[in-house]
Amino acid sequence: MATASFVRSRRSVLSLAGGAALLTACGASADSSSKPSKGGTIRAVFPGFGAKETLDPHVGRQFVDMARFKAVFDKLVDFDAKLRPVPRLAERWEADEDLTVWRFTLRKAQFHDGRPLEAEDVLFTLSRILDPDSSERLAKNSLSLIDLKRSRAAGSRTVELRLTRPEADLPSLLAFTGTYVVSRRYRDPAKPVGTGPFRFVSFTPGRSFVGRRFDDYWDGAAHADELRILSAEPEARANAVRAGEAEYAHEVSATFARTVESHPDVRIVSTPRSGVEGILLKTDRPPFDDPDAAMALKLAADRERLVEVVLGGRGAVGNDMYGKGFAYYPEDVPQRERDVAEARRLARRSGIHGKKLVFYTSTAADSFVDAAQLFARQAAEAGLRIEVETGPPESYFTDIIDTGAITSHRSGAMPIPTYLSERLLSKAPQNVTRWRHPDFDADFAEARATRDEARRSRRYQKLQRTLRDEGGQLLWGHPDWMNAVSSRLHGVRKAPPNTRDWARFDTVWLD
Amino acid sequence: MSAATTAAARRPRRTFPAAGGLLLLGVPVLIAVFGPLLAPALTGPEGAPYVLGDGHPLGTDGMGRDVLGLLLRGGRSALGVATGAVLLAYVLGGLLGLVAATTRHRWLEEVLLRPVEVLLPLPSLLVISVVAVWWRGSPLAVALAVSVVNVPAVARLVRAAALSAADSPVAEAMRLQGESRLRITGGYVGRAVLPAAAADAGNRVTTAVFTVAAANFLGLGMEPTAPDWAVTVAGSREGLLVQPLAVCAPAAMLVMFTVGLNLSADAWLRRTGLSGRDAAGPPADSVRKGA
Amino acid sequence: MIRYLLRRLGLAAVQLGVLAVLVFALTSLLPGDAAAVRFNEQAGLGQITELRAQLGLDRPLLERFADWAGGLLTGDLGTSLMSGDPVTGVITGSLGATAVLAGATLVLVLPLSLVLGLAAGLREGTRLDRAVSAVVLVLNGIPDFVLALALVALFGLQLGWLPATWVGTDGTDLLLRPALLVLPVTVLLARTVCLLARQVRAGTVAALHAGYVVQARRLGVPRRTVVLRHALPNAALPGVQELARTGDHLLGGVLIVEAVFAVPGTATVMIDAVRGRDVPVIQSVILLLAAVALALNLAADLLCHRLAPRSEAAR
Repeated sequence: MATASFVRSRRSVLSLAGGAALLTACGASADSSSKPSKGGTIRAVFPGFGAKETLDPHVGRQFVDMARFKAVFDKLVDFDAKLRPVPRLAERWEADEDLTVWRFTLRKAQFHDGRPLEAEDVLFTLSRILDPDSSERLAKNSLSLIDLKRSRAAGSRTVELRLTRPEADLPSLLAFTGTYVVSRRYRDPAKPVGTGPFRFVSFTPGRSFVGRRFDDYWDGAAHADELRILSAEPEARANAVRAGEAEYAHEVSATFARTVESHPDVRIVSTPRSGVEGILLKTDRPPFDDPDAAMALKLAADRERLVEVVLGGRGAVGNDMYGKGFAYYPEDVPQRERDVAEARRLARRSGIHGKKLVFYTSTAADSFVDAAQLFARQAAEAGLRIEVETGPPESYFTDIIDTGAITSHRSGAMPIPTYLSERLLSKAPQNVTRWRHPDFDADFAEARATRDEARRSRRYQKLQRTLRDEGGQLLWGHPDWMNAVSSRLHGVRKAPPNTRDWARFDTVWLD
Repeated sequence: MSAATTAAARRPRRTFPAAGGLLLLGVPVLIAVFGPLLAPALTGPEGAPYVLGDGHPLGTDGMGRDVLGLLLRGGRSALGVATGAVLLAYVLGGLLGLVAATTRHRWLEEVLLRPVEVLLPLPSLLVISVVAVWWRGSPLAVALAVSVVNVPAVARLVRAAALSAADSPVAEAMRLQGESRLRITGGYVGRAVLPAAAADAGNRVTTAVFTVAAANFLGLGMEPTAPDWAVTVAGSREGLLVQPLAVCAPAAMLVMFTVGLNLSADAWLRRTGLSGRDAAGPPADSVRKGA
Repeated sequence: MIRYLLRRLGLAAVQLGVLAVLVFALTSLLPGDAAAVRFNEQAGLGQITELRAQLGLDRPLLERFADWAGGLLTGDLGTSLMSGDPVTGVITGSLGATAVLAGATLVLVLPLSLVLGLAAGLREGTRLDRAVSAVVLVLNGIPDFVLALALVALFGLQLGWLPATWVGTDGTDLLLRPALLVLPVTVLLARTVCLLARQVRAGTVAALHAGYVVQARRLGVPRRTVVLRHALPNAALPGVQELARTGDHLLGGVLIVEAVFAVPGTATVMIDAVRGRDVPVIQSVILLLAAVALALNLAADLLCHRLAPRSEAAR
């Protein structure tokens, strides 16, 4: 609702930030009557990724990585619960008339080595992300519109960024994964120096990270003395928090939530609609180059049942559009209902009725195989013969870029324009549905160059509607995000992953 | 269930452990063999995940599937893969061991056994996990992997047992009477090896059941939704406190099978007059010789 | 004896060599490679190709193997394709926890199974024998992971007597919190002790019925002496042989235990490496495990050689 006003005036930015602070204050008071107390060690357990875990804030992409980065670093901008940009290290920003020159004003903040944050640090960070010699910088693609040679420091606390094309949502791009601001003296990834609430102490990939409170944190020093971020498989996470070996377990299952329903020492903090679960159809080859075939599958899906079984009832039914509840989501589109007869008719018309179709899935996410099997049985009722095949989970997301006419899909929270640009533009790296339509690309380019927020929103919504009707995305559910929290830990807020209040340990306290 | 086993084992009369063993063994084996035939008639409709009752005598699993139906269909792969693998290992390993033990040519023995011994230190779970990654979730592939890792040990054991039989006075006598090599090997030595092999095979099937189950538990074996006892245990374990039967029923099947198999093997060995040697077969022979 | 030892060591070296080739072939042929795994959730195919080149994965298979084998001979195990750290460091970092688990198990397994097996074997047919045999039979029939789940659920979560998981602990905590070891080691011990106790019992019974023992008893040698001097060594023989063979069970057990209790050990590193297609790490871990298994086998055979020099097993 307010993204356009960010562009124009500083006042509205501040008022929004103030509003958010008020909101979060309410949220925090709900779970505890006690006043925040200092001290203690918070142990938070996240899904582990073994040797794949990293300390490099521009490379790590797993939740456990991001939780560590959040403790040690800050971004210029972060997201609120509706995935709208909110100020962090940048306290305000403004763009010129054609959205190609942006000025970000930095707040007063200090690095862990005692030096102040300056514009040069931000420029160094961007040059590190855009480093042509590195293949692993996450935001390299999404920030490639920044023309670094022409960007400059306008004073010690103002950065002027020049873009190669107009972009209304640049703050959002600076808030996404892999955009943490590092000190310009940062060379060795093993010795991270950031501005975040915890100083780095130690890190062992796949096991543990230890951070100690940074007293000069710009957003107010953290309550706890020490933060440990640990890695573990789902079962061990659940056991750890139940046995009192940890205070916070990230991502627990619906079954675990049922198990601890009446447990005195564990509660579940559940954030509704924090991502998407779905099925992707490749639209560049038979049979789904025919939108009727894709529609047959969309109508054959029993979404309520999928949510009930696969998500254990903890989620909302999806309407084949990403980002329910986020900014730019078209709320007024009626829910797609199951229609077996129509599905059968469309299947016959497109020639897939009774023909063998392969659903290529894997155990890459817990829900995938269950959803695939269940969907195959639902589709059978409309005369569709879907056989489930399981591939190696380790490289599944890479493999399905090329293979599999029907594949599994899951995505965490991100702004809708990011989702579209990463997955649905002709040249998008993760275009699993092979949605390649120059007019769609052009409409998207026009939308992101639109200064007026209401008009931009309408354009993004139109793109979403097109996808819903003709695209290869069967998005059947929006899962609740469930974290388990010990009764000793207070102040944990509901927040979708990747947003400002998610995995935030400076504002929580132990009793 | 374990109480029943203990009670059966404690009975003073020896026929009872045998009967108890057969009973324990019989239930899972019968279910494995005939379950799939009964499944369509007895499987309840799908329900909500992890509910007890509501038309499901054993409740539902995490996907809302009827646990009784899973139980009926899950024995074939759970027992079949392990038993088939051990059978195959015995066909291959037994042949190798027998030939190596009775051949007159030392080089042949070396050629046969050395390559096999190279495989001996291969960790079986690793072989399974790698093979399972290749042929995603195929029970046949898992069975092949299990049998491959069992071949060296079987070959060694059969060779040791056959050697002691081939050196025995009976074999000597047969040789002196001019019996053919084939007859001595196939007729006498082969039969002499049988008890030791049977005892070992019983143990090996148990271990194979465990190895396959462990691979499935670690997510390295079959498809995570396959109706297999071990897969069901692994898949439903997080619902243990919500719907215990989804874990306990298939786990009980596995335990009944292995305990029953051990009991029956023991009883059989006793009946065939190998009582004292129990499952130790050939080493006991070598003890006597060594001492 | 020396010649025997040398021959066995030579054989072991050949075995390890062949294994290295086998494992390399097996793991290199797995679908997907480290680059694809590292980029599994984001980034496009172009970046994967770049990374593949950086990691040297685009070179021919033989060249990569020669590289690795050459490094091995000079004591360099290469670097992990996942983290870029030296493999030696990755493995030694994980060895501590596994060594403590395996060590505690090995220290306890022999005395426990000897005591149980002897107690049952010496009193063959009595109530004690039947009780021990029954317990052993039932325990032997419970899969490791079922036992692990049951113990965690009961003692870790319901009763809260013992730690249910190792999450958050590292090697140094072990000395401070020995309670962490109780449940995992119990799981590891259960099956191994059962297998060994059965062998020891059988060996004892066989030894007591053997002609020479019966003869000695008839000649008036006290039962105690007969048991300690003659029956015991022979009874232990099958147990010792079996011990070497339990190496594989033990490894399987360690995999399960490390997974259930979230132990940061070598088995976890191996599973991670298989998932990450981290060929240098997989190979090094397997060779290490195989070397340990071979050493155990050799030690057992040597021990048997001493206990019963002419026995078949020592050939």
